[in-house]
Amino acid sequence: MAILGQGHLNRRQALTGLGRGLLGLGALGAAGASLSGCTSSQQSDLTGPKKKGRRPITVGSKGFAESWITGELYAQGLRNLGYTVDLKTNVGSSDIINTALLSGQIDLYPEYTGVMLVTFMGEDKLMDSAQQTFDLAQTWAEDNQVTMLRATPFENKNAVAVRKDFADKHDLQTMSDLKGIGAFTYSTYPDNVTGAQGYEGIVDTYDLKNMKLKTLSIGLNYQAIERGEIDAADVFTTDPQLLRSDLVVLDDDKKLFGFQNVVPLIRDDAFAELDDDASEFLDTLQSLLTLDAIQAMNEASAINRLDPANVAEMFLDENGLM
Amino acid sequence: MSDFAPAGDPVIPDYGQASDCVINNGAFCTDWFLSQWSTVFWPPLVSHIVMVAIAVSIGFVIAFGAGLLAYRKKWLAGPIGMAATFLYTLPPLALFQLLVPFTGLSLLTVEIALVCFTLIIIFQAVLVGLSGVPDDVRRAATGMGLDRNQLLFKVELPLALPSIISGLRIATVLTVSIATIAAFVVDDGLGSPIIKAVSSPFNTQFVGAGALAVLLAFALDGLLVLLGRVLTPWTKARS
Repeated sequence: MAILGQGHLNRRQALTGLGRGLLGLGALGAAGASLSGCTSSQQSDLTGPKKKGRRPITVGSKGFAESWITGELYAQGLRNLGYTVDLKTNVGSSDIINTALLSGQIDLYPEYTGVMLVTFMGEDKLMDSAQQTFDLAQTWAEDNQVTMLRATPFENKNAVAVRKDFADKHDLQTMSDLKGIGAFTYSTYPDNVTGAQGYEGIVDTYDLKNMKLKTLSIGLNYQAIERGEIDAADVFTTDPQLLRSDLVVLDDDKKLFGFQNVVPLIRDDAFAELDDDASEFLDTLQSLLTLDAIQAMNEASAINRLDPANVAEMFLDENGLM
Repeated sequence: MSDFAPAGDPVIPDYGQASDCVINNGAFCTDWFLSQWSTVFWPPLVSHIVMVAIAVSIGFVIAFGAGLLAYRKKWLAGPIGMAATFLYTLPPLALFQLLVPFTGLSLLTVEIALVCFTLIIIFQAVLVGLSGVPDDVRRAATGMGLDRNQLLFKVELPLALPSIISGLRIATVLTVSIATIAAFVVDDGLGSPIIKAVSSPFNTQFVGAGALAVLLAFALDGLLVLLGRVLTPWTKARS
């Protein structure tokens, strides 16, 4: 996934985290350094019955809003069951947070199955299905004494979106349909031009010689496509803007962008210390994380600018998990 | 063992309708600032005050002790001053990075760095204040029979107070501003909403938290001015 992961991280990290990754690396490098920062300051209260004699569970999250929200969902739900939970938001990129997981600095965090394949396993073959992606990721987890719980129904991956009128005019459903519609303009951010899942990869895989490139800074895609300055835009499938724009996400029929469901990754030894209620809660929560749900929560965070902790708390509340 | 969670039927909470100002990222959205005050601004403001109070208090104790020592043993003034100046010249972000491998991403790292920056200011203020006591005053006090400690506490320190207070004011205002950089290490203080808002980008959070840091610096500076007036009532009469 060198590419999808890369694109993901480039974009998301550019948005957040600034120097934390750097400092985080320093901390990870030092044996015994206590990663006691980055703890969410609120909600350290225990609402449920306290589970005594347990060491705290440390939940981590990566450097972008969707990961913060998911991390908050896990942490607050487990706290509600009586576990003592330490939440470290914004730990860093996939590599950094994975090191933190395997070295025991965090116990549990949400990861994307496709990211695991490419970043942790160096797998560059295209997968046929979400199941195949999951199964391969599972082998990595088993080799590394990590338990993978159930995957979310939603995926967050790159996609190509077009305006509804443009799709209707050219009768577009899949990315292959873009071939032979005449010249059109696609935009992505400057870091996502080269590489197998960037602009060049799309042109190669789908044979889209008619797709012209316009690079735009992160976040300007949506305005540009709404104004008609471009015809197609690089988006992430969970972008909240997809809820309000009149856009159609084209089906990636050649499966170029892979599969990116979210799984809770927990080290085996930490998992062994949890009661059944913890995995029951996580399974229930994961099943509720549909595309609609995550887009709504991303919207609350990115558009309404609500705190990820609040966004997660309201979701758990409404769904009877608090 | 387990694989995909079957898609459930989530209840999506009503997260409310964002105002046009928030959606268009206006310069400052009062509605959002007020509604998010208790979650986004108040906790960081409190932790910022705590961070500054701890740093200035510890910095004061160390620098005050060093200042007294250097005043009594003049030859120490040079080396102590140089060491403190060296700490002051380190870029804060670099100092954090240097400390993280030893003390982790923790409040301890932040406080050590913040204390380092207060030392030279308070040390100099103490030393200058004490050295500025006129010799004839000191001789008169000794002539009245005061011993060395009485001289220090009854005459020299009170006369040095205006200088010490002004050093404390500068150290406090500086610490309020440097403490915003602490957000690179701990998710605490007003730097935390500022960093998140710069990278999102979201003006209201950035402007709001930035303004709070400025107001906090003014407020703490004002409190120290008041403290100085209370402690040195004679200076007012003289001017």
